[in-house]
Amino acid sequence: MISLTDFLMVSAALFCIGLYMIVSKHNAIQILIGIELMLNAAILNLVAFGKYDKIANGGQVFALFAIVLAAATTAVALAIILNVYKKYKTIDPGRINNLKD
Amino acid sequence: MLPLFAGIVNSCLPGKRNKVSGWIATAAILASCVLSVIIFAKTWNVRETHVQQLWFTIGDTKLYAGILLNNLSALMLLLVSVIALPVHIYSTAYMKNDENYDRYFIYLSFFCFSMLALVVVDSMVLLYVFWELVGFSSYLLIGFWFTREKAVQANKKAFLMNRIGDVGLLTAIIILFAQYHTFDIAQLFGEGGLAGQPTITNGLWVAHGGGLPAIWQYIACGGIFLGVAAKSAQFPLHTWLPDAMEGPTSISALIHAATMVAAGVFLLGRVYPMFTTAELDILAVIGCFTAFMAATIALTQNDLKRILAYSTISQLGFMVMAMGIGAYASSLFHLVTHAFFKCLLFLVAGIVIHQMEHIKKDNDLDIDPQNILYMGGLRKKMPFTFIAAVIAGLALIGLPLTSGYLSKDGILIQAVDWSDSKSLLFRLVPIGAIITTWLTAFYVARMIVKVFFGEFRLEQFHPHIKYHCSDGGWQYRATLILLALACLFPFFSLNPLLYEQGWIFGGFNSIQLARVNPYHTIIPAGVNILSVLLIYWAWAVYTGRKILVFPQTGLLFRLSYHEWFIDKVYNKVLVRAVLAFSKALSWFDHNIIDGFINLLPLITIALSKITAWIDHYIIDGISRVLAFIVQITGNFVRRFQGGKIQYYLFSMLAIVLALFILKILI
Amino acid sequence: MSLAQALFYLMGFIVVASALFVASTKNLVRSIFMFFITLFALAGLYVLALADFVAITQVVIYVGGILVLILFAFMLSGKETLNVLQQQKSKFISLNKLPAIVLAVLFFIVMVNVIGKINAGNLGWIKQVISAKAEIKPNDEMINNIGINLMTRYLLPFEAISILLLTALVGAAHLARKEGRA
Repeated sequence: MISLTDFLMVSAALFCIGLYMIVSKHNAIQILIGIELMLNAAILNLVAFGKYDKIANGGQVFALFAIVLAAATTAVALAIILNVYKKYKTIDPGRINNLKD
Repeated sequence: MLPLFAGIVNSCLPGKRNKVSGWIATAAILASCVLSVIIFAKTWNVRETHVQQLWFTIGDTKLYAGILLNNLSALMLLLVSVIALPVHIYSTAYMKNDENYDRYFIYLSFFCFSMLALVVVDSMVLLYVFWELVGFSSYLLIGFWFTREKAVQANKKAFLMNRIGDVGLLTAIIILFAQYHTFDIAQLFGEGGLAGQPTITNGLWVAHGGGLPAIWQYIACGGIFLGVAAKSAQFPLHTWLPDAMEGPTSISALIHAATMVAAGVFLLGRVYPMFTTAELDILAVIGCFTAFMAATIALTQNDLKRILAYSTISQLGFMVMAMGIGAYASSLFHLVTHAFFKCLLFLVAGIVIHQMEHIKKDNDLDIDPQNILYMGGLRKKMPFTFIAAVIAGLALIGLPLTSGYLSKDGILIQAVDWSDSKSLLFRLVPIGAIITTWLTAFYVARMIVKVFFGEFRLEQFHPHIKYHCSDGGWQYRATLILLALACLFPFFSLNPLLYEQGWIFGGFNSIQLARVNPYHTIIPAGVNILSVLLIYWAWAVYTGRKILVFPQTGLLFRLSYHEWFIDKVYNKVLVRAVLAFSKALSWFDHNIIDGFINLLPLITIALSKITAWIDHYIIDGISRVLAFIVQITGNFVRRFQGGKIQYYLFSMLAIVLALFILKILI
Repeated sequence: MSLAQALFYLMGFIVVASALFVASTKNLVRSIFMFFITLFALAGLYVLALADFVAITQVVIYVGGILVLILFAFMLSGKETLNVLQQQKSKFISLNKLPAIVLAVLFFIVMVNVIGKINAGNLGWIKQVISAKAEIKPNDEMINNIGINLMTRYLLPFEAISILLLTALVGAAHLARKEGRA
């Protein structure tokens, strides 16, 4: 059988890849995808642990909730990116540095 | 004192123009002459006068300045002023066309002042002072025509040789002071003086106050002798005198015939009691040798003044020799007579040369006006001069009826007597003296014959020249008459043949020889007869009657003609060595000392360059590095607030990670 | 190795590989399409984790909704946006990303370390569940379970989520409005 540890490993890998994308990409939408990846890693984790909870089934339920929230997040994030593009004419987060000292 | 003042006033006065200064100088000399006669009358054989004053004190030693007038100084005083007077008169005519007329008289007065002072001072220190001044004035006068190269070299040589003598004299004075603790001449050398007393026993110079090793006495005497040799032109310091003939002839007459060169003999007279017998013997030998040597050289010289110069050297040798053999009085007697006839001879030579120069200028010839080969037959043209020259020449030779006879034969007789009491070797001294006398006769005759007799030889070399010669103005004639009279015997002694009756002779203590001594008759007779023969022979030879003509070549001739090569030896050995040494020193000074001094700024410049480099690179470098570090750090840290959100996130995560790792590891 | 395990490794590999591709490519379009694959593979993993409803939900919402939304937002933004979005530096291997890579790798190491330490298979409550035979079996019907739990036990989060969704909808619609007529 598939051990829990394997799921956790995959999840960890996905999380780190998502982290890498957030920190190093120059495109806002790719950062968004990185966030999605991180979320997906978290959901995988939930599902993996949820196998051992037949009665309350918390793992799978919260996985559902998480997916819904991810959708909402993405919608709002895209709207924000659109607005940012309208103002700054670029979606490179490195260039949007009006908050600098 | 009074002649001194006259001299000083004289030397302060000039600065005026030509003729006037000449008359002022002459008037001053006339005044001093008169005064010296007065002094002489008061002092001679009557009493001594000694006046002193405290000059200065060093420590415990007091130095006095004052005047000592005894027989010797009174005589010298009279001599100097009496000789100087005709020379001054003569000079006013001789130098009348010279543009430096006033300078000449300044120097002449200065010289007279120094000489007069020299003979009257009473302290060895003052003696030395005036000794040097006399040497200095002669330097000025020899080089009077300093635009001529030869004159400049001659006066340099004279001064240097005199300097050597001065060193000797100074040494002697100091040694005497160390021994006797006084500079006073009267105390040292007068009657019962200190210097006359001591003896040399067991190698120690015993004296009143203490003893010194005997060597000092010899050195002192050697020092005195050096001074005498330099001033009076004895061997080996005689070479300056012939060269000193570059000066005006009247100067040669005064200084080098009569007075300055006599200063050496005067010094001997002053310090005479100090010498021991051995030293006196040496003195005699050297004097004789000098006389002989000079006479041989004078035989072949062709320059009129040089003949006279060598003759002076020879006669001075006589005087020194006389001192050496103990004929103190005769020596001084000869000094006086020599002064007169030598001065006269020089003045005659001056006139002749003057005429030759006129001829040269008139006809634009290129001849040496002093060369006797060009002269001749002047007897007819300048009769007055001729007579004066003959008188002086006869006096020089020492024939009877002249004053020279009295003094010179006195010396000869005493020389023979003296050598009697010595060993056989010392026989050479009087023999040498006698031979010298004959040589003197020959060269004097040669000179007079060549100049005054025969044909005027210049015509043979340069025909068709116009000339006229005359005796010159009253200044010349008066001078010549005065001096010529003094050459004759009545001036000095009433008896022409017996020298003991000369009044000078009676003024000094000396050995009185018995009249019965056979030498008293043999020597004068023999010497004089042979002299007359020699004169005739010279006349015969040089007026062209070809009897025993001497060869003009051959070793002896060459030796004599080139002055025994002494001058050349001196030049090669001494002069070159000194010049090389001074060149080495100046090279040393220029390169090493100046080089060292030039090195210091170079070092300073190098040091300052190094400092600048250090300052520029190292010190500035440190501050630059610091600024660079700050800049980098700032740049690095600034990036964290760059406004890039990803950096913010990155830093946050990095910290979290670090925490995790620390947690896990630790 | 059973079929399930082989399938798991396959799915896992696809997930990680496509995620890596998504992370490394500079081209936005390519990363979005690879994200597709990642999401599908994740759904497979969910199935293997005996969470079939979650897998379906993932496919429907994530792939069919979110990804399509991103695609629409991206494709319909106009030419300038496309140009801007596609303008990237074209270095193959650049060290600009090195710090991020280092960070990610370190994070991964740390997590692996932790996972290894907890020894998830031997946790206390898991053992209890296994011994009580209360774990989900492949044959079970879980949809029933999810439905009942959703309405009884998790009613509050359910309602909260719906309100949240509503506000998100309204907000996104407002944010993305066109500016008023000039």
